[in-house]
Amino acid sequence: MMNSYVNTHANPQIAAVQQVLSQLAVQFKEVHIARLFEQDAQRFEHCRLDLQAILFDYSKQRLDGAVIEQLVQLAQASGLQHWMTQLFSGAQVNHTEQRAAMHWALRLPPAGTDSLDICPDIVQQVHTQIERMGQLVGQLHRGQLRGCTGEQITDVVNIGVGGSDLGPLMVSHALSDYRIATPQHLQVHFASSMDGSQLSVLLKNLRPETTLFIISSKSFTTIDTLYNAETARAWLQQKLGSSDVVSRCHFIGVSTSPEKMTAWGIVPEHQLGMWDWVGGRFSLWSAIGLPIALSIGIEGFKSLLAGAHMMDQHFRHAAWHENLPVLMGLIGVWNNNFLGIQTQAVLPYDGRLKYLSAYLQQLEMESNGKSVDRNGQAVSQDTCPIIWGDVGPNAQHAFYQLLHQGTQAITCDFIAPALRYHLNAQQQQSSAALQAQHQLALANCLAQSRLLALGEHALDTADTQLPEYKRYHGNQPNSTMLLKELNPYNLGALLAAYEHKVFVQSVIWQVNPFDQWGVEMGKEIAKQLLPALQKHSSQDAFDASTNGLLHYILQ
Amino acid sequence: MILNIYGDSLCALVTASVLASIGHQVSLNMPEGPARTLLKQGSEPYPEPGLYSSLIQQQQDGRLGITDFQSHPPETDAVFLAFDSRDYALAEQVVQHYASQQAAVVLINQSTFSIGSSGKLADMLGHNQHLVYLPDFMQEGAAIQTFSRPNKIILGCASHQAELLVREIFRPLNRLKDQFMVMSLREAEFTKLAVSGMLATRVSYMNDLANVADALGVDIERVRMGMGSDPRIGEAYLYPGCGFGGQSFSREVMSLASTVSGIGAKSHLLEEVLAINELQKEALFRKLWRYYDCNLKGRVIAIWGASFKPNTNRIDNAPILKLLDAFLAQGAIIKLHDPKALPNIEKLYGQHPQLVLCADQYDAVSGVDALLLVTEWKQYWSPNYRRLLKLMQTPLILDGRNIYDPNYIKSLGFDYMGMGRA
Repeated sequence: MMNSYVNTHANPQIAAVQQVLSQLAVQFKEVHIARLFEQDAQRFEHCRLDLQAILFDYSKQRLDGAVIEQLVQLAQASGLQHWMTQLFSGAQVNHTEQRAAMHWALRLPPAGTDSLDICPDIVQQVHTQIERMGQLVGQLHRGQLRGCTGEQITDVVNIGVGGSDLGPLMVSHALSDYRIATPQHLQVHFASSMDGSQLSVLLKNLRPETTLFIISSKSFTTIDTLYNAETARAWLQQKLGSSDVVSRCHFIGVSTSPEKMTAWGIVPEHQLGMWDWVGGRFSLWSAIGLPIALSIGIEGFKSLLAGAHMMDQHFRHAAWHENLPVLMGLIGVWNNNFLGIQTQAVLPYDGRLKYLSAYLQQLEMESNGKSVDRNGQAVSQDTCPIIWGDVGPNAQHAFYQLLHQGTQAITCDFIAPALRYHLNAQQQQSSAALQAQHQLALANCLAQSRLLALGEHALDTADTQLPEYKRYHGNQPNSTMLLKELNPYNLGALLAAYEHKVFVQSVIWQVNPFDQWGVEMGKEIAKQLLPALQKHSSQDAFDASTNGLLHYILQ
Repeated sequence: MILNIYGDSLCALVTASVLASIGHQVSLNMPEGPARTLLKQGSEPYPEPGLYSSLIQQQQDGRLGITDFQSHPPETDAVFLAFDSRDYALAEQVVQHYASQQAAVVLINQSTFSIGSSGKLADMLGHNQHLVYLPDFMQEGAAIQTFSRPNKIILGCASHQAELLVREIFRPLNRLKDQFMVMSLREAEFTKLAVSGMLATRVSYMNDLANVADALGVDIERVRMGMGSDPRIGEAYLYPGCGFGGQSFSREVMSLASTVSGIGAKSHLLEEVLAINELQKEALFRKLWRYYDCNLKGRVIAIWGASFKPNTNRIDNAPILKLLDAFLAQGAIIKLHDPKALPNIEKLYGQHPQLVLCADQYDAVSGVDALLLVTEWKQYWSPNYRRLLKLMQTPLILDGRNIYDPNYIKSLGFDYMGMGRA
């Protein structure tokens, strides 16, 4: 394991702060979280941040005010201010691809440029796309987008992978309570996997006449997506004939490349644009978010953007010791680099956030899963931890055993809405029962975070006579994020907070969070293997393992 | 007898005029609304053949008085409630008034409310007061005829005394043979709704078959005649077309579907019937969409007929509404003609840049890429074909009611598509 104090690239300032933090870490490794609560009766007031939409409680982390103070120093010494300015001025912070990373620009309000130093042209372009999206959404909701037989479109299938899938899928699911009901019962589906697993099931149940596909690919070269798109087109043509009206009426494209979309057969009216300066995993705020807008309406989508913009403003302007993304990032660094906790579980206590951990896995691990710093040198400290998780109440029946009694140190983010089922006035009969279920989930959320942190100390009368196998030692640090309610605005704010957290950490770790070179080579090798599988080339041209596997497949 | 009739529906006006014409002394008490306003202005409230002149005649003869809703003439033998389905609250007001009077009275409800409503109204009355349900089976366009010479009079009634009174009121209309069928209130309500549902089902079935016939290349009209010749089936309500509409017809069907689902059970068949009909209203759009290769932007389209059927100005639930929405959304320009319904269309759409309302049916077709026949008004049945050919940019006729002879008009050089025939 690489430790912070062997950081060879650190400037003296950084090294000095790291030194102090390392000493604090030695001290904190000996202190139980239960002790911290005993020492400070006001610990919650001291270790929480209330942003109205979101309450962030980090009092169950293994730290105190002095640690936060030093972490803020570390951020300062690492040049966080400089990098934030770079990020928000549209500089090419993604240096390996010579691109800016301006996902925040997708959420700027239409009026003015918000005193930011970016071209008003960009704001204009962004809002033109939102408007075009709104038009398509309106057409689809009114049942006035027609298939080639003239029937109303009733089902939309989003074909995309990675950022073109995880974000829209996660948010659509999370905001299912805000779904717009249309007369034709418009449904949105997702297909991503290159083997066609999801698509084949969907195609069995859908009618070609009433199905529309969104081909969502930033580059419009993603092989997974293009294979799925070809399968979809073949399915349509089999039933509807092979005329070009099938492509014209049944496909919408989202990409940076109008040329490639046109070449594929998507008509200009059905093309939505995006820009090089939006990374795939930061793209749900762009037209890639079309499935979200289809699900919750364009006004709901705008509310999601507004929540994220609020968080952008908070990130840029709030003092760092009360800045949500900065605190999230620094606490992660503390756990990862100083307390040596290498994994982080994301545990939402709300079934609607089912896909959140998969989404954050991509956001964090694709961004900061790097081992080369911005100067091209090997990093001298650990970077992104393993991010994983599941819906908390279900995971309680799966991996919580390990959280409570395993040998791994793990930090957790508990996420839950304070209010739920409070808006459904029409369904009053069932809503009382559902509210009881929500209370049950909240009780479990609070209980688990308490037990993980405090261990047996969480019980009023700690029974020291328990056999060893029934004991809970606790001291697993965790944070709790309470949303006032899970609505578009608050979710937008939450996701933007995680995005900026990732950015903060990238600055501390001195890596470029906006490239992903580690996912390229595998695609290239697959291109070499495909001809071998198709028997167009030799099955013996690879390593012995691969040759053996090929022979088994082709025998 | 002295009769108080409440309401401003077509049923109220027809009941008033027919019952006055057979000698009853009738007071028609109308709530404020378009029908009342039109009557006050001296114009006809509904374009129902024979109705307006009869109302004038009966007033002149002194047997019919038309007055305000709240005026409640004191002496009365029977009270009629003939409201629109959405005016349940008004019916309640009237029933409350008579309940508070406590005098013996018979109330005859003709309004189509949801099942159970007549019972609810009856419960408001005192012990010497009765409410019966006399479902309205008038056919718009032939309302006077169907009311004066009924082939059945369904009566939902629990009181012998009330039945005697209703029979006396209708005696002159019930001479040839006894048309009364007496049953419980709820049975009568359900019968009314079941009849509408059956008719709608027949039509939707034919439309469904017509769509298949399109694909098979057979002529649905021959199939229709073949079916209709079977006495078990009969000829009525087998006409395929571009969807049925109308306030009473489709709303009644809908209220059957929702009533039955309201108490836990639902009719899957009727839901499907309604769904097929909604799809059918767009049938002409789909045909034209395919004809023009899925692009109607800038196409100019003539439509003849907007009312949900001939001889009415009503467009409630009419196919024209779905057609206009679909065509306008695709950027087509519509030139619309209808002898009576254009003011109602204008009320709904205002000044729409893609919608031209034409006072003359031939003005509507000049320079168009297609002519759609949506409502079979008599004046459309035998148009001046030569003039059409000269005026239309593309001589394409989409016949939503199968009123033209495909062979003949094709021989003139038209392109023709009907409903289940080409």
